[in-house]
Amino acid sequence: MTTTRVEMKDVHKQYGSNDVIKGVDLQVQDNEVVVLIGPSGAGKSTVLRMMNGLETTTSGEIIIDGQDIAHAGVNIDKVRKNIGMVFQHFNLFPNMSVLDNITLAPVELGMQSKADAETTGRELLETVGLSEKADAKPASLSGGQKQRVAIARALAMQPDIMLFDEPTSALDPEMVGDVLEVMRKLAKGGMTMVIVTHEMGFAREVADRVVFFGDGKILEQGTPEQIFDHPQHERLQSFLSKVMNA
Amino acid sequence: MVLKHKLFWSVLVASLISIMAFVAPKQVKAAEQQPTYTIGTDVTFAPFEFANAKNKYVGIDIDLMKAIAKKENFKVVIKPVGFNAAVQAVEADQMDAVIAGMSITPERKKVLAMSDPYYKSGVVMAVKKDSNIKSLKDLKGKRIAVKTGTSSADYANSIKKKYGFSVVTFDDSNNVYQDVTTGNSVACFEDQPVMQYGIATGLKLKIVTKPALSGYYGIAVAKKSKAALLPKINAGIKALKADGTYDKIVAKYLGNGTIASQKKKNAATQDSDHSFIGLLKSNWGTLMGGLGETLILTIVAIITATIIGILIGLLGVVPNKFAQGTATTFIYIFRGLPLLVLALFIYTGIPSLTGTKIPAFVAGIITLTLNEGAYTAAFVKGGIGAVNVGQMEAARSLGLPWGKAMRRVILPQGIKIMIPSFINQFIITLKDTSILSVIGLLELTQTGKIIIARNMEGFKIWTMVALIYLIIITVLTWLSNWVQKKINA
Repeated sequence: MTTTRVEMKDVHKQYGSNDVIKGVDLQVQDNEVVVLIGPSGAGKSTVLRMMNGLETTTSGEIIIDGQDIAHAGVNIDKVRKNIGMVFQHFNLFPNMSVLDNITLAPVELGMQSKADAETTGRELLETVGLSEKADAKPASLSGGQKQRVAIARALAMQPDIMLFDEPTSALDPEMVGDVLEVMRKLAKGGMTMVIVTHEMGFAREVADRVVFFGDGKILEQGTPEQIFDHPQHERLQSFLSKVMNA
Repeated sequence: MVLKHKLFWSVLVASLISIMAFVAPKQVKAAEQQPTYTIGTDVTFAPFEFANAKNKYVGIDIDLMKAIAKKENFKVVIKPVGFNAAVQAVEADQMDAVIAGMSITPERKKVLAMSDPYYKSGVVMAVKKDSNIKSLKDLKGKRIAVKTGTSSADYANSIKKKYGFSVVTFDDSNNVYQDVTTGNSVACFEDQPVMQYGIATGLKLKIVTKPALSGYYGIAVAKKSKAALLPKINAGIKALKADGTYDKIVAKYLGNGTIASQKKKNAATQDSDHSFIGLLKSNWGTLMGGLGETLILTIVAIITATIIGILIGLLGVVPNKFAQGTATTFIYIFRGLPLLVLALFIYTGIPSLTGTKIPAFVAGIITLTLNEGAYTAAFVKGGIGAVNVGQMEAARSLGLPWGKAMRRVILPQGIKIMIPSFINQFIITLKDTSILSVIGLLELTQTGKIIIARNMEGFKIWTMVALIYLIIITVLTWLSNWVQKKINA
C-alpha cells in the first residue's frame, strides 16, 4: 500500500496579471523519487517551493500528508518539520559551526536534547562524509561540502519528504559527484524525494518518475525511460536535444 | 535684563524644581527659628548674577538678597536655575521669590507680587571701538543686534522705522556682542549695567548713547509667600538703601559708574589670567562638571536609544502590516523632527498638555531616545533586510517559527552589518547632547555658555569646548573599534 505524500490539485499562481503557474496537478507517493526538469522559468522551482509553503498560491490545493497547506490558518511550521529542503545556494548559517547548523532546529524545537542532537548530528556528518568538519565554520568549506552539510541539516529533523532545489547548480563540476552520491544513498534508503535538477544522467538513474515542465505547466511525465528515450511532447524533445548536446 | 514672560517657555526646568520641592522642606526643618526662603535667579546675567572664577554665584542680586535676609532675619537658599525657570517656579509657588534683574512691568504685576524697585536701569547703544556711529541717526540702512525677548529688543523694534535700521536677534548676549565686533551688525542695544560690565571685562565696544527707556528692577514674590516675605523684602531694600549697604554692593560690581573703575572691581570676580592656559586652568573644574553631565546624558541616551531602536527596528521587519506601519511612522516622525524642536516640544509642550512637569534631564533623555532611536531603528531595519533572504527561508524550512529564526539566525548576522552604524550613532548621540543646552541642562555646551557670560572670552572657551568634544569622540571611536574587533574576531 502506498500513501500519497504530496498532492497538488489545479494549482495556479499569478504575480499581478502575470500567470506563473497555470494549473499544476502532481502527486508524490511515499518512497517515490520525483525529478522535475524543464527550461529555466518553466516553474519547476516555484512548484517545489510551494510544497513547503515558501511560495504562496493563487488558487488550488496542496495537500501534504492529508492537510491542505495552501489555506490560511495552517501551522506551517509543523508541516515544515516533516519536509526537508535543500537550496541551490546552500543557505548554511554562517554565524554557527557546522554542527550547530545541524543541531539548531531539533534543539530549538525541543525535539532532542543538545547532547542527543549533537550525537545525531555527528552521525549525519559521517553519512555525508564530513565528520571532521563538525566544528568548522561554513565559510571554510567548499561548495560541495556546504551542500552536504545542508543535506545533513535537513535530515536532522528526520523528515519524511526531502525537497531539492537545483542542489548542484551552484557547484564546480568536480564537486557535483559527492553531493549526488549522498542523494543517491538517500534515494536507495527509501526517502521520498522531489528534486529539481539539470543533471539528466542523475535524473535517469535515481528517478522513479520524471516530470517535464514548460511554461508553468506539466507538459509530460513518466518513467525515466519514457521521458528520455521516447519523449512525446515536441517541447520535451527540443529541450532534451539541447541539454544532451550541451 | 527684561526678558519677558514667554508663552513658548510656559513650562520650566522642572527637574530643578522637583529637586527644590524635595530639598526645601528639609531646610525649613533645619532652620529653628528663622524661616528659610528659596530664591531663584538667572545663570548668566553679569553683573547681577554670574558664576565667578571659582564657579560660585555672585553679583549685585546675590549680595543684595543675602543682605536683605540678614537685615530682616531670615535665611535664603539661592538657586541659579535660569531666568525663565525661576519665574515659572515662582508662578507655580515652587519657589518663594526670584531676583534676576527683573523689570517691574504692569504685565508682571498682574501675575506676581513685585517688590519696591531696587535698581534703575535703561537701554544703551554700544558700537565697535573704532566705529564712527555716534547716535541713533547714524543707523539708517544699517543692522543692529539685540538679545531675544529683552526690553532692548522691544526698544529697538519700537524705533527701527523712525531711524530706518533693521534688527537681528540672538538668544545669547555674547552672540549679540560678537555680531558687533565682527562687523556684521554696526551696533547693539543692551541694559546699561550689563553693557558696562561686558566692556569692562574686555569687549571691544563703547557705549555711545544715554540710557533710554528707563525701568526699575524688582524682586518677584510667589503668592504663597507674599504675606510673609514681601513686607520683609521691601523693608530690607529700604533699610539697606538708607544705611549705605546698597550703594556698597552696587559699587562692588559697577565701581563708580566709569568703565575704568569697573575694570578694577571685576578683578575680584574674574579669571585673573585671560590667556588660553590661564582660562583653561581656572575653568577646568567647571568644564569637567559639564563634561560629566554630557557623558551621563550620552551613556544613558545610548542605552535607551539602542533598546528603543532595536525594538522599533524589529517591529519594522515583523511580517505584519500594523507592526511595520508603526515602525515606519515612528521613524518618519522622529527622524523628521529637528532635535531642537523635539527637545523644546517635549520639555515645554508635553507638560502644558498633561499638567505634569518633566525634569530637564528626563526630557533630554526622552528627546535623545526618540531621535537617536529613530535613526537606530532605521539602520536596524536595514541591517536585518541586508541579510540574505535565503537565510530566513532555510531557517523557516527547518520548521523554526519566525521569532526563533530571527533571533538565532538573522539577528546575529544583521548585528554584524549594523555595528559600524551603531558606532556612528553613538558619536552622533554624544554630539547631539549639546543641543540639550536649550532646555537648561548643564552639559558641556551650556557650561561653555555660562563661562563666556562671565568672561566674554567666546573664542577661547569655545575652542576648549570643541577640543574636549573631539578628545571624547576620539576615545569613543577608539573604544568602539576595539569592541568591533572583539566581536568580529
